[in-house]
Amino acid sequence: MKIQTVYRKKIFLLTLVCIFALLVLWIRVVYLMVWKSQYYSGKAEDLHQRERTIAAKRGRILDRNGVVLADNQTVCTISVIHNQIKEPEKVISLLSKELQLPIDQVRKRVEKVSSIEKVKGNVPEEIGKRIKASGLSGIKVDEGYKRYYPYGELASKVLGFTGGDYQGIIGLEVKYDSILAGTPGVLYTTTDARGVELENYGESRKEPVSGQDLYTTLDYNIQMYATQLAKQAMESKQAAQVAILVMNPQNGEIYACVDVPEFDCNAPFTLPESVQASIGENPSEKSRQNALNAMWRNHCINDTYEPGSTFKIITAAAGLEEGVVQVSDTFSCPGFIIVGDRKIRCHKIQGHGIETFAQGIQNSCNPVFITVGQRLGVDKYYTYFEKYRLKEKTGIDLPGEASTIMHKKEAMGPVELATVSFGQSFQITPIQLATTVSSIINGGKRNVPHLGLGVLEEEKLKRFSFPCKSNILSPEVSHLMGELLTQVVEQGGGINAKVEGYTVGGKTATSQMLPRGSGKYISSFLGFSPTENPQVMALAIVYEPKGIYYGSQVAAPIVRQLFENILPYLDRMCYNK
Amino acid sequence: MKLNLKRREYANTYFDYSLLFMIFFLIGFGLIMIYSASAYDAAISSNSNNDPAFYLKKQAAAAILGIVVMLVVSRIDYHFWERFAVIGYVVSVILIGLVLSPLGMEINGARRWLNLGISVQPAEIAKLAMVLFLATLICHMKKGIRTKKGFWLVLLSPAPICVMVWKITNNLSSAIIIFGIAVLMLFVASPEYKIFFLMGGGVAALAGIVVLAITKIDSLAKLGFRSARILAWLNPESDPANKGFQTLQSLYAIGSGGIFGKGLGQSMQKLGFLPEEQNDMIFSIICEELGLVGAAFVMLMFIIILWRFMVIANNAPDLFGALLVVGVLGHIAIQVILNIAVVTNTIPNTGISLPFISYGGTSVLFLMIEIGLVLSVGRGIKLRRL
Repeated sequence: MKIQTVYRKKIFLLTLVCIFALLVLWIRVVYLMVWKSQYYSGKAEDLHQRERTIAAKRGRILDRNGVVLADNQTVCTISVIHNQIKEPEKVISLLSKELQLPIDQVRKRVEKVSSIEKVKGNVPEEIGKRIKASGLSGIKVDEGYKRYYPYGELASKVLGFTGGDYQGIIGLEVKYDSILAGTPGVLYTTTDARGVELENYGESRKEPVSGQDLYTTLDYNIQMYATQLAKQAMESKQAAQVAILVMNPQNGEIYACVDVPEFDCNAPFTLPESVQASIGENPSEKSRQNALNAMWRNHCINDTYEPGSTFKIITAAAGLEEGVVQVSDTFSCPGFIIVGDRKIRCHKIQGHGIETFAQGIQNSCNPVFITVGQRLGVDKYYTYFEKYRLKEKTGIDLPGEASTIMHKKEAMGPVELATVSFGQSFQITPIQLATTVSSIINGGKRNVPHLGLGVLEEEKLKRFSFPCKSNILSPEVSHLMGELLTQVVEQGGGINAKVEGYTVGGKTATSQMLPRGSGKYISSFLGFSPTENPQVMALAIVYEPKGIYYGSQVAAPIVRQLFENILPYLDRMCYNK
Repeated sequence: MKLNLKRREYANTYFDYSLLFMIFFLIGFGLIMIYSASAYDAAISSNSNNDPAFYLKKQAAAAILGIVVMLVVSRIDYHFWERFAVIGYVVSVILIGLVLSPLGMEINGARRWLNLGISVQPAEIAKLAMVLFLATLICHMKKGIRTKKGFWLVLLSPAPICVMVWKITNNLSSAIIIFGIAVLMLFVASPEYKIFFLMGGGVAALAGIVVLAITKIDSLAKLGFRSARILAWLNPESDPANKGFQTLQSLYAIGSGGIFGKGLGQSMQKLGFLPEEQNDMIFSIICEELGLVGAAFVMLMFIIILWRFMVIANNAPDLFGALLVVGVLGHIAIQVILNIAVVTNTIPNTGISLPFISYGGTSVLFLMIEIGLVLSVGRGIKLRRL
């Protein structure tokens, strides 16, 4: 006996409704799997793929002749992958032996349940290779690079160093970071939800692009020799600091930039023992950072000083250019000069007596230059100061260049004008002085001093171009200045810088360190050679020498020694051809 | 209207081999998919003794037991079970209550299981008990079902169990399924149409209002977790890390399948991305590995099974048999529809397993008993009547 028709109709209806619902869902499934398939599978792929960056090889830094100053070393990072380890005891003993880590420390890493655990970084390549050769599963050896400076301290304040992510921190490393860094590659791996890489799914990678090698204007030999001289001077004069800047006055290329004491680029965070002792065992983060910054500081660029008599070159050039003084003009120096209500002394207390302007330069006579300054007047003097670009930064390709500290024009009275005329009461950087004097003796071309020479492009050096402003000074005055400064070395205060067989021009300076009367001095000498068409300029600055502190006796001999060696060398190298 | 067939008469009766075959097929297919979905996670989890076949073995044991029980039940006249209707109801109530006792077991933060040597989910038992109870109740009421009183009695009789399942085991979806089974059985038994459409319309309107109200509340702090789920349903990408997580992972799996799928065993989402991958979310893994083709095939299998159920119910020897089959049909249809609706984010996320395929011992065992009942009802059909 069959059930009633009414039930059958209802059962049929019920089934149809259910089937209809399933069909609706089927349409939904079709929508998801056909129309939205690309969207969701893309999203899913994003989820399953992990990106691992592959470090790009950082470009090297070389001197102008290809001597490598900053290089890369292959180092390994050793990690363990917990769920791939089959023989934990063997892994622990191998790693602790090879990496010289305590067993407990390695055990902790090995036994930690995580996708990947780093055991040690910066492991030398050969140790990494040995570990890899052991063939134990679960050990991952990743190769990477570490910055390495073959000469340690050489040009440390110029080169700088890199940080943990291989990025430049100071010096050329940071200034040219974009060239050196390259583009990191990406390794796409497929992982499960825990981040464990899946072997069967393969991996795709975007290769890293290595950074470009940076050729610098530095000359390894000159830098090396200048460093030695600076160290010697620092020792013999028990000076606090000795800076030597060697550059090409024709185009602003810097051959050497020394500022001893330097630091070891391979250990830039290690303070010298004396400094470490002075800030104590456990210094605060701030005092430690200050000490580090002081150690990294490049006095040629990052600090200003009162240039003193070397600045008379600028006053002389301005006076000659403006025509307010002639070489043959005579002056009388009684040992002082009255400016306003002040009596300003000459360094020779008994006075230089009657002297021509040329002799005034040789004698570095303060009253002569004060007089020239007075003849120019504040307006004109200020105009030349600006025309010679002394108020701007030089634009050197190193970070942290200090600005000139100069009186405001409105605040410049007769006393300020007088002191500025012979290089006091304002501050500039050594690089600013060297650059400005370069333009005065090279025929009036104001170059941007620089250390970056260029990069290799298809095996050929592609030089960087730096702006050059010409005619900031007439060629005649420039020529005249060269002669006058040569006389300083031939028969004036710079006699200690005389080099047999070469014409050398220059100017000494002895400036007091501020505050005045502290008994601390800065002795300096700026020299160039040859007189005609000068090819090299050197500025030596000795900070706080003990005993004799005159620039003519402390700094001039340094430049002489330097020139005696590098002038023949430069003749051979022909850097200006 | 009892039908007592003697042994030799069996030869002339109907046995639905096609249904049996499809059930076997789904069980076998389910085992393959459970292994595929769970092996990776099982191998790396200590919960499963690091045995990739852990879930497969447990499910296979339950399935084999289920097949034996099914074959036994299919050989027993279904009227035999009528006398257990009330006992089944009472036992269900007790078992659900026992979840609160120390016998209760918590898995994945939900207290839904009883530890009786093996873990048992009382809600699964209650579904079968409810089918049997309501079929018996309706048959005993005879014409009483046509009265208002009878109508409401049938409709409300599952309410205690539903409330217990909801409140005690915190399992709203099972409560809804049990109630849904009751409504479907009542729909068949009652001559009414209008009231069901009104009820359906009323439920739909209410759901619409609730959803609308929730979207209007701007402060999330005022929302309970079910409300947050509804927001996650409307836009799973608004909360991809929490409420929308499982839904999104499911959609990623389904979407990555495309038309032909990645191939058996090639699912990526099962590698720990999609939670409950061998359980409530197994349909997503089927989509990912076997594609639209595989998904459509599984859905087609269920449609054919429902159709077979309808044929058996319509030809059942009596109303009791027909109602038993309708109950089973309702149970399976509701679960399949809700499960697929959840994994495709057609309705808000709630935990419902896919019959015969999802991992779950109690579920498969009791589903097999239900199939046994259906086959038993099928046996009552005299071939010549077909």
